[in-house]
Parts: sequence; structure tokens; C-alpha cells
Amino acid sequence: MNRRGVIFMIALVAVAVLAPTLAPYDAGRAFLDFLHAPPMRPHLDGLTPVAHPVVLVDRMEQRFAVDRSRTVPLPWFGESDLPVFLLGADDFGRDVLSRVLYGARTSIALALVATLGAVFIGTLAGAWAAYRGGWVDETVMRVADFVLVLPVIYVVLVLRAILPLVLSASTVFVLVALIFILVGWPFVAKGVRSIVAVERNREYVQAARSLGASHSRIVFRHLVPACAGHLIVQATLLLPAFILAEATLSFIGLGFPDPVASWGTMLAGAGNYNAIVRFPWTLAPAVAIFAVVLATNLIALNTRRRKLLNQH
Amino acid sequence: MGRYLLQRLGFALLLVFVVSSAALLLTRAAPGDTLDPQERARINHELGLDRPLLAQYLSWLGGAARLDFGESVLYSRPVKALLGERALNTAILATAALILATAIGIPLGIYSGSRSTGIGPSIVRALSVLGLSVPPLIGSLALVFLAARTGWFPVGGMTSAAGLEMSWSRYLLDLARHIPVPALALAIPLAASLERLQSQAIAAASRETFVAASRARGLERMQSLLRHAWPVSLRPVLGLYGVMIGSLFSGSFIVEVVTSWPGLGRLMFDALKARDIFLVAGCAATGAVFLAIGTLIADMLLAWTDPRVRAGERA
Amino acid sequence: MNRQSRALLSVLLIGVITFVGWRSCSAPPDDSNGEIRISTVPTRGGVVRSSLRSEPRTFNRLLDANFPVDLFSLVTGSKLVRVNRATRQLEPGLAEKWSASPDNLTYTLTLRDGVTWSDGTPFTSADVVFTFQAVYDPKVNSILASALKVNGQPLKVSAPDPRTVVVTLPATFGPGIAILDNLHLVPKHKLEAAFKNGTFAQALAVTTPPAELALLGPFVLRSYEPGQRIVFDRNPRYWKKDAAGIQLPYADQLVLEVVPDQNAELLRLQAGQIDMMQQQIRPEDVATLRPLVDQGKARVIELGVGTDPDLLFFNLRTPYWQKDPRRDWILRKEFRKAISHAVDREAYANTVFLGSGVPIWGPITPGNKDWFSPNIQRYAHSIDRAKEILAGLGLTNRDQDEWLEDANNAEARFTLLTYRGNSSLERGAAVLRDALRPAGIAVDVVALEQGALVQRMVKGDFEAIFFFFSATNLDPSMNLDFWLSSGSAHIWNIGQTKPATEWEKEIDDLMMQVTSQPDPAERRRLFEQVQKIFAENLPALYFVAPRLHMGVTERLGGLEPAILRPQLLWNVDRITVRQDGAQ
Repeated sequence: MNRRGVIFMIALVAVAVLAPTLAPYDAGRAFLDFLHAPPMRPHLDGLTPVAHPVVLVDRMEQRFAVDRSRTVPLPWFGESDLPVFLLGADDFGRDVLSRVLYGARTSIALALVATLGAVFIGTLAGAWAAYRGGWVDETVMRVADFVLVLPVIYVVLVLRAILPLVLSASTVFVLVALIFILVGWPFVAKGVRSIVAVERNREYVQAARSLGASHSRIVFRHLVPACAGHLIVQATLLLPAFILAEATLSFIGLGFPDPVASWGTMLAGAGNYNAIVRFPWTLAPAVAIFAVVLATNLIALNTRRRKLLNQH
Repeated sequence: MGRYLLQRLGFALLLVFVVSSAALLLTRAAPGDTLDPQERARINHELGLDRPLLAQYLSWLGGAARLDFGESVLYSRPVKALLGERALNTAILATAALILATAIGIPLGIYSGSRSTGIGPSIVRALSVLGLSVPPLIGSLALVFLAARTGWFPVGGMTSAAGLEMSWSRYLLDLARHIPVPALALAIPLAASLERLQSQAIAAASRETFVAASRARGLERMQSLLRHAWPVSLRPVLGLYGVMIGSLFSGSFIVEVVTSWPGLGRLMFDALKARDIFLVAGCAATGAVFLAIGTLIADMLLAWTDPRVRAGERA
Repeated sequence: MNRQSRALLSVLLIGVITFVGWRSCSAPPDDSNGEIRISTVPTRGGVVRSSLRSEPRTFNRLLDANFPVDLFSLVTGSKLVRVNRATRQLEPGLAEKWSASPDNLTYTLTLRDGVTWSDGTPFTSADVVFTFQAVYDPKVNSILASALKVNGQPLKVSAPDPRTVVVTLPATFGPGIAILDNLHLVPKHKLEAAFKNGTFAQALAVTTPPAELALLGPFVLRSYEPGQRIVFDRNPRYWKKDAAGIQLPYADQLVLEVVPDQNAELLRLQAGQIDMMQQQIRPEDVATLRPLVDQGKARVIELGVGTDPDLLFFNLRTPYWQKDPRRDWILRKEFRKAISHAVDREAYANTVFLGSGVPIWGPITPGNKDWFSPNIQRYAHSIDRAKEILAGLGLTNRDQDEWLEDANNAEARFTLLTYRGNSSLERGAAVLRDALRPAGIAVDVVALEQGALVQRMVKGDFEAIFFFFSATNLDPSMNLDFWLSSGSAHIWNIGQTKPATEWEKEIDDLMMQVTSQPDPAERRRLFEQVQKIFAENLPALYFVAPRLHMGVTERLGGLEPAILRPQLLWNVDRITVRQDGAQ
């Protein structure tokens, strides 16, 4: 496992957790005179990072002018009655940067919970199937096979669409996480099963069994740890997939409701091509998603390469 | 091999059956509706939706066996007709994406796999890693942005509405201008995975002794690669195509929504929103057919490339 | 991390930094508003292209009032008399003149000579009588029936000769013969058989071959390709001529492209593939069209203040709240007054309509020039006043959070349902949520699909709803369903058997007077009373009425913009097309 990749992931999670401290403004705070205000370029004034404020020129056309006669300190370095938008403002005049940070919280937390859930369920199912063998093995693997070939996005869509629409954000969180776990566990289970199927016949497992160790002890102390590498690889694959799935769901209006900042809800307005062209900074969450996917890909690639090397 | 494929065919049919039935029953149970109650009552009666669920299901099943999926409430048209044209549009998009991914991924893979050092292969590898990180949602948003900003390609839809009775050549030309954005959005991650796999396969094949031997015989480098290493490397690459058809189908959903491509994904999306249950079920069934064909092709490729399967063993 | 991935990350970083530094390029300022030029010399020929966001489910306007069907009926039909959408005056149609009896109950209409249906069959008074028969038939269950009744009683229609129709109203009716603006005629010779054998509901299905349709309007159906477009040809048998004696319509063809998505619709307009959109453009689209306007390829027409403003209403059915801990205050008009005070209408207009709107305090907006009354109670923006009123209801902050509670600790919170996908509603609901927060009222906004929302509204299964109505007529007597407590559009408490409150009874009585009174000035005076009572009791809250804009390509002339939809196609027979720029 790549150390820098891990550091990156930890940093990402830290950003998500610390969002309320890092974000300059509350995610829901709307600056009414700054609808779609453009990003402001920061520069140094002595030792204080500052920016020129923007002023509304035409409300109907959402045109702004930079007021070069004045500077305001960046929100971390001083108070000001004028807001500073480093990544611009969205259609409600909310700070995009703050929303990306708060959105990281929602999106990453959901993906993490779903990933851990899928890994947990998948490990249990896979280990149980391989350990017990016989009809249990057959049934679990058939179900897993079946779920694997389902058109995932359609399944998620139908499942989410049949749930009541009037749901609080926390309920949506739990339900969407459950749906993700439902479609994600077989990826883990298949690998775990094949590894455990091999390992259970190894001498150390035989030895433990002859020493009278319980089934659960054998499975959890001996067999599951053998799958650690596989689990990590699967987790690095599932995490970005779930982040994307959340974005997709929220993008089409089946994910989190509006006031919740998530990367998907932030992108929901991107269906309007003219808006993308006029206000490209509203695509910032797409860049964030790209960054996370890229980071996990780098971790995964390096891990796989390491595994290859170890085999030789 | 025959028995194996027959088994897979059975699995595919089961998939189609379960998916479409589940979609029908689940959607029927779901809340929400887009028609006003009076109109809904009238339409429900006309379509027989006010009968018990089981009766409805059985009659739908009977119809579906004859490829008759009922009538769409949303479009007031037979679901079959809608599915036909939309599935064709999705197939056009998916095929274009597949060709594009192949045309980009395979040559680059051969190039980067045949050289282990140098700046060129490094750039290709780096681009691949970047490409792998551009899922269709992000890719389509970025491409739509580029297309709209530069005006190089029209944004949204499959054709422009300009001509009423467009001639075939004009229609194709128009289609050719609209297809690059959605097709590329789908093709980028696929091309990247193809490049990676092809590169590794070529590298592995080049190490095989007979390729080294042929080079010793003085064959041109490229010639030797194409004649000897490439065919060997083809098998794992072909195996990927089956997987790709499945992911194309899932990926095309969001691309169709973002780029307003009038395909199956967009249709299912609209049908779900409007709670048009026969249409949802029909879309799910067609989707499952697509997927089943994909897995079948994958299985056949696997059977062809994997001697163990060819011999009748289970893979 | 190896060198290669490090390089990748730096590329990424540079990308992000570039992204941060991005500046939007602003278009050159131009404050000339799109003005309406009516070409002086009309030209014949050309194709008018518009869009349609949803498709017709039938061609039978007697059974379906949805926009596509209404539009179909408008461009392929003619009325006996019509209310001119631009001048709001009654004008003759297929009836060239009419006379009223002294008691204003009986009208004798003389039909135009020589009018034929598009298949050549003469149009006679028998068609009018047949249409009324179909409209009133309970088996047909026509959607037009209630709009063609006075006090729930049908009109009596007779045809003494082929060119004369006598209409008798059951009671005096303020709008008078303008009630016939609601009548959409159908051909007797085509539909009588279906009517007699009970298959009228299946007649005029969208699958009907175009040649089978007998029509009276400026255009006739050429083809309907579902999911693609509806194409209309000029009706050579159309009866109307312009002042110079040229037979209308001016255009040769009308094409309605099916474009379900508003963004895609706008793109088509930008690309010049359509000449106008189904209805008004969103406020933010005015800026999007600016470059085209500057290039002289399109213009933006301001239609004036809209007459169908978004409204917020609570469920005022007492039984719904019986077991609810909030029942003591949520139904009180003071609660609604506090909400009205809490909303800053200017900020609302700036956020939702980008400044292009006017504050309103009742359902009749300044856009409805004949009926708007400025003399109603207004609720100035004041959070303090709102809190004061709420405290009077026993709602004060009793714990640590930011919301108010009553004596039993029930929180001042309600769920607000709205349409998904309608930007002014979704944005408006969010603004309301944010506006009520400082007053201590929590709002949970839930966006639903249109049908699901209507279903809940009709069943009374909601706490509060935020949405809008599309009226088809500006005269309040034509919208009695909304005003009367027994009405089907009396949305806060639909279809009451007897008025639930004193003020609803007062409005009922006044509206009956408005409806039966023939004198326009007296009708206006009475209706002002209604508006005052409404603003005092606030069964529905109104905040801002937007100014509506229509985007049109420069090719079209002869436009007479109206505030009701279809804002431009209502006089499609007089729209001209400039030929040179045509593709």
C-alpha cells in the first residue's frame, strides 16, 4: 500500500471532518447580491492575503466588476463585511469553496460508510460460503454472481425511486448507503471466497482446528486476515465508485435534497449547458470527484504493481 | 463448450426475466405519480392497471413473451415502438464509443507496451491513469463544457431539428457531428483500460522466447510485434470486451442524461420520473437483454480464449 | 508515489489553480430592451417553428386541457367569439355579429357565411349545437363542461337556421357572451357516430390520420411524429382575411418540435432551429440570449408582469390537524401574517427572478390590468413584527435551538411541498426557507414530481404547498373554481359543502355578485372587496410576480405578445416569416 496515497486519503478525510473549521462560510449561507459571483483572485498585501471585492453591475445578467480600489482580507485572515469567493458563488450566492468542503463531508462519509459496509458484508458472506461449502457456498455465490451482472445504475435508480420522496437528509444517507452496500458486497465476497477456499486447507488452519478452535475464531483470526490485501484493493475500487454513484443519484434528483451540500447536489444545476459556459466554477465538485478518483487509482495501481512484484 | 454456452444462455434469459419482472412489480408498488387523479383513473382503466397486481403481472408476462410490453402512459405509444428506437440510439452510441475506445486504446497500448523506457510511453501511461480517473459523468460534463464553450461540436441531442425530411446523407452528417461528445465521454475510461491491458499483454508477450527468436532472425521490430506478439496478447484484451459492453451500458445512462441523447437510459430516466410502469419494465427488460448479450459475448470470447473452458471445464 | 504519479498530481494542481484563477468574460453592456416591431407589409409564406415540451395525449380538446392539446386546438380551430389576448377585448370569430336581449340572458349569434371545415363540409349552427351536446353529456365527461356553465347550470343552445345560433344563459353573467371563448368546436359530421355509440372518448386520438380530421383553424395537421414533431400546413379553407383582403394565415407551415427539456429548448432557439420556445424564457436566459440579440439574430420581448404568480398555502382542513400538536396556531391567520411579514419581497425578487419582478400581496397581479387592485393590505418586511405576532400566538424560543416553540413544546415547523424541476418554485421555496429561519420558523422543503404533488393536494394530504396555477382567463368570474368555497381549485380546502369560515362565505357571496353583475365598474368594485378580504385572511400567500420575457428569432413578424400562454402563437394566423434568412 502506497504511503503517500494513504496520506492523501487521510488528508481528504481530515478535510471532510474539519470542513466546518476550514470552510470560510456556512454551506447554506446565501449572499443575495452575489448570485453567480465569479472567483476572486487572491494576492498578498504586505503579509495578509487579500482579494479585490466584486460589485454587482447588472443583476439580470449577473455581471460583476472587480473593485480594484478596495481590498478585503481572505476570510481566514480577518473580518470583513464583504464576502470573498475563491471558487466563486453558486446560483443562490453561496460560496462554492465552502460547499465543496462541506460536500466532501457528505460524499466521502457516505462512500466510506457504504464501502466499509460492503467490505464487511462481503467478507462475512464470502468467508461463510467458503468455510461451510456445499449448498451454502453454491447459494451465496449464485446470488453474488447475479447481483454482479445486474445493471447497477438501473438497480440503484429503481430502488431509490420506489422509496418515499419525502425523506430527511439523514434517512437518505442511511438508505442510499444500504442500497450501495446491496450492490457492492458481491465484489468483495467473490474474492474472499476464493482466498478462504484455498486457505482453509492450509496447515495452520488445520492445526488450529485440531487444537479445538471455534469456527468463528478460525474464520476471523486466521482466514479473514489472509484476505487483507484483497480487501484493501476492493475498498479502493468501491470508494470512488460510490462517490460517483452518489453524485449520479443527486445529479438526477434522486439523492440528497437541495440544502444538503454534496458533490452530486452541487452538480445538479450542470444540466443547463448555458450555465456551465457562463459560470464554469460551478463545476468545481466535478474536479473534486476527479481528484479523488485519480488518487484512489494511483493507490490501487501501485498496490497492484507491488503485488505483482511480490509474486515474482 | 456447447453445454457451457447453453448454460450461460439460460442464465442470461433468467436475468432478463428477473430484472424486468422486478422492475414492473417494484415500480407498481412505488409512490408518486405525474398525472392528475381523474386522468390517472381513466388511463388506469384503459390500460387495465386497476386490476389486481397478480392479474396485471401475468398478462404483462404473457404479452412480454410475444414482445408486447403494453402501452406507455407518458408517450401514449406502444412501449415496443419506443424501446426499438431508443435501444437503437443507445446501440449507436455504445458502438461508436467501443470503436473509439479501440481505435485509441489498442494502438497506444501496443506502442507503450513495446517500449519500456522513453518519454513517449511515459506520457501514454500518464494519460491512461488520467483517463481511468474520468468517469462518464465527469467526462461528459467536461466535454459538454468544452463543446459549448468552443462551439466545435453541437451540444445536446442526437440530431439537430433543422431539416424536416432530411436526406440520409445529411442525417448521417448531422449524427456524426453530434456523436463525438457523448461517445468520447464513454470511451475515455474504456480506452484507458484497453491501453493498460494491451500494454501489459504486449510487454508480457514480447518477453516470450519465440518473439525474441523472431527478432533474432532479423525481422523488423514493428513487424515482429504485430505478427507474433500481438496475436498472443489479444486473448486477455478480448476478454475485456465482454466486461466493457456491460459497463458501456451502465455508463451510457448518465451520459445520455447529461447530453440529452435520446437513448434507453434517458427513456428509463423519464419513465421512472413519470412512473410509467410498463415503460420502466420494458426499459429494464431491454437493458437486461443488452447486458445478457454482453455477458454472452464475454463468455464466448472467454471460451474461445481460455482452453480450459473450450475443453468443457468450468472456468 | 513514483515520479510519474507525482508529475500527474502536479498537472492536476496546476489545473486546479488555473480553475481558481478563471475569470468570466462579460458581454458588452447593452440596455436596449427588445422592442416589438410589427412589419408593415405582411408577406405570405415561410415556416414558423416553435417547440413543445410535452406531447398531446389526444387531439380532443373537450377531454384534455393540457397545454399541447390546448395549443393544437388553438392553431387548428376557430371560436365563435374570442377574447383578444393582447387587447383583452371581445371580438367576433365564426360568429360575425350577435345581439343580446334586454335582460342580458339571450344572445343571438349570426354565423359567417361560406365557412367550411377543412374537408370542405360547410360549417353550420348544427355543429355548434352538437358541440354543446357533447360537452354537457355526462358520458363524455368533458373537461369544458364546468367552464361553460353559469351557476352550475348549462346554457340553452338552439339553431333556428343554419347561420343562426341562439344561446340562453340560465342567469345573468358578468362576462356575458365572452363565456363562448371557452368553447372549442368539433365537427358534427365526423363525430356524431362516435358520440351516439359511446366512443367519443376514443375519437380524435393522436393516431387519427390527418386526412380524417376536419378543422376550422388557420392550420391543419400534416403529420405527427411522436417524440419528434407536429407539422401543420396552411389551411386553404381558413375563413379569415387581413385588412388588405389577403387570406390568412401568412405562413405556409407551422412546426412544433418536441423538446422535453427546457435547456435543450433554449439551445435550439440559440442555434436558430426554432423561432420561439413553448413559453416564456427564464430570467437567467435573458442574459444567455444577449449575444444573439446583439448580433441582431433574436430579440427578447418583455411581456409584462405575469398573472400566474407562485403561491404558498396551508392545508386549512381542520380535521387534518386534529391530532397534530401544532393545531392551535398553524391554522390561524396570524401565523400566515407573520410569514408574510418575515419575507423580504425585494430579496425574493432579486434571488428568484434576478430582480425582474414586482412584490405582490394577493392573487391578482398588476399584470392583470383590468382587475388588479392596489388598495389591499400589505405586509411590510419586518422580522420583529413577525416575531411579535408569533409571540402573540404563544410561539417563543423556549430552548437552546434557533426555532420557536409553543407552550406544549411543539416546534414552529412545517413541510412545504413544491414541484421538482421548476426553477422559480424550487428557488422560491429555498428563499422562503431561508427567510423564515430568522423568524424562528423551520421549513422542510420537499420537491415532488408534478403529478405526485397534485395528487396530494387534491387528497388534502399536505401541510403546505408552494406552486402556481395556469389560468386561461383573466376574468375572475371565469376562475370561480378558485374563488368559491365549493370550487375544485379552492386549493387550501377543496370542494366544501358549505363555507367553512365566515370570510369564505363573504367571498362566495361577493363572487356570485361579481359574476351576475353586468356593469363592469360595479364588478370591479365588488371584486376589490374580495381582494381585500383575501389579503386580510391570507388563505394563500403571494410574494413576487415575475416580469415575463419571450425569446424570438428575428425572422418572425406580426407578433402580438400576450401575457397568457401561448403568448405568441395565440395569433399564429398573423405571424409572418422573413424569407431571406430561412434555411
